[in-house]
Amino acid sequence: MLDDESVAQDEDDEDEEQGDARDEILTPGTVITSNSQWMRGHGTYVPLNTSSITSSLAGTLTRTNKLLSVRPLRARYNPEIGDLVVGRIVEVQAKRWRVDVAAAQLAILQISAINLPGGILRKRTETDELQIRSFFAEGDLLVAEVQQLHQDGAASLHTRSLKYGKLRNGVFVAVAGTGGGAGVVRSKRQLWTMEAANGGGKIDVLLGVNGYIWISKHIESDAAAEAAGINRMEESVSSQIYSSQNNHIDVTTMREIARCRSVILALVENGVKVDEDTVTRGYNEAVEFGRESMEDDIYLGGERGQRLAAALAGR
Amino acid sequence: MPLDTSTYSLALLRIDGRRWNDLRRLHAQIHTQDAADGSSYLEMGHTKVMCVVTGPAEPQAGQKKGTVGSAQATGQKEGASIVVNVVVAGFSSVDRKRRGRNDRRIQEMEITIQKALAANLHTHLFPHSTITVSLHVLSQDGSLLAALINATTLAVIDAGIPMTDYITACTAGSTSSYAAGDDAADPLLDLNTQEEQELPYLTVGTLGDSDKVAVLVCESRVQVSRLEGMLVVGVDGCKQVRRLLDGIVKQKGRKMIKEGAVRRSDMMAVSLDD
Repeated sequence: MLDDESVAQDEDDEDEEQGDARDEILTPGTVITSNSQWMRGHGTYVPLNTSSITSSLAGTLTRTNKLLSVRPLRARYNPEIGDLVVGRIVEVQAKRWRVDVAAAQLAILQISAINLPGGILRKRTETDELQIRSFFAEGDLLVAEVQQLHQDGAASLHTRSLKYGKLRNGVFVAVAGTGGGAGVVRSKRQLWTMEAANGGGKIDVLLGVNGYIWISKHIESDAAAEAAGINRMEESVSSQIYSSQNNHIDVTTMREIARCRSVILALVENGVKVDEDTVTRGYNEAVEFGRESMEDDIYLGGERGQRLAAALAGR
Repeated sequence: MPLDTSTYSLALLRIDGRRWNDLRRLHAQIHTQDAADGSSYLEMGHTKVMCVVTGPAEPQAGQKKGTVGSAQATGQKEGASIVVNVVVAGFSSVDRKRRGRNDRRIQEMEITIQKALAANLHTHLFPHSTITVSLHVLSQDGSLLAALINATTLAVIDAGIPMTDYITACTAGSTSSYAAGDDAADPLLDLNTQEEQELPYLTVGTLGDSDKVAVLVCESRVQVSRLEGMLVVGVDGCKQVRRLLDGIVKQKGRKMIKEGAVRRSDMMAVSLDD
């Protein structure tokens, strides 16, 4: 039965291929061009003793002026400077942390790249190094920005902004396969606040470019700190930002956070990319689904997930 | 004698009804597990294997030492190292034999796959990291190493690790025994367990559509004059397997484009040559 299906599908696909050859997929070993005017980019190589640019991945072709590269169907996260990432502390060393950001290597967070409580003018002392675990300990989640890349591709992070730092009051979701496939795509906004349904208050959704996602209760920022102005904002950084204690969260808010998580997992399962548009629309659909039955089921696996994806595709 | 080879010369049909150069049914799926970096499932006849690729990722503690790094194999310094684990399920063959982690035959298969991958993957792009390939054998009916290699290729492609070309493998055997002295005897393609027990055979793996041999394993005694014929048939079988696997990858890719998960190509590769 499976065979018949795949054969039928093959025929369908062949018809489509005639319709648009841009649907073509490059696979490893496919020669892209032997014309020497093009330059090779990521996902390509030139075999020894030839001059033909050959694909080394399964994916689609991209052209930037004279540069040809292959965009993979799926790949692990590859850090780039400026990326907003969610990470988890794996190891604490003398002056730095090692952070899992789903890349080929662990990222590095120097103690000099974080905001220490007590303001920007405070001198970093050995005491800070001795109590390094009081800022981040193993297993802590944080949001950071990629500051620089090393020769071997490892990333250095920084959290020197009030937007970044330790994560609390929420739930973590990991989505595999960034850069293509059903994963997080780079977009204008990775972090937004949305109004939860059913009186759940506001929730923050943070889509790390590396496929790690954090959904949390929205906490209004301290009014006094905002009034102090940008220059003095960092001085008001208190040790509270490194607290691992959650605020009080209502049960309704927790439910809406869980619903949002179900939506993201359903998007991934059905091969829909994860961005602000799909998550907000998916969430609204899911709220509607929830009103259909009395028990308000927030589970969106299997058939319900397929329905959600279909509703999103149909607009 | 489980297989009466003398009947082959009468009807030219093998025990399962195939001709000498027929492959068994090959069914494969790519990206079978959402949580994995790369995964695949492959059936060659009744041989069924699945593969999960993790990485390139930071080496696990304790994994750093004792693994055969790709550094020596590729001549590149500090490339990603490749670790291959094969687990054979107890229920996979007829006799329920428990095979430990240190089984020699399994270790040899692991090393064969690891060496083939190290020479083929572009590991220099991922320094200080590890690529872990876990293979599970669910059912065995001959051509096990070939099935493992094919499943690995699919899973590595799914993981988006750059590689030179597909490595595809299959087995080839020879119907003639030395005593028969039958020089015109047909070589056979893609052997099942019964044939493997009865006949001399080899496993051959090639790189893409070329005739470059990446893997060649022969454990039985074969007459030298038969070897060339077996190799030719095996290489030809590898090309057939490559076409099948390529079709599966492309079908998956088109499906992802249709779902909107992947952007289309900016332009056609053909138009670049002008």
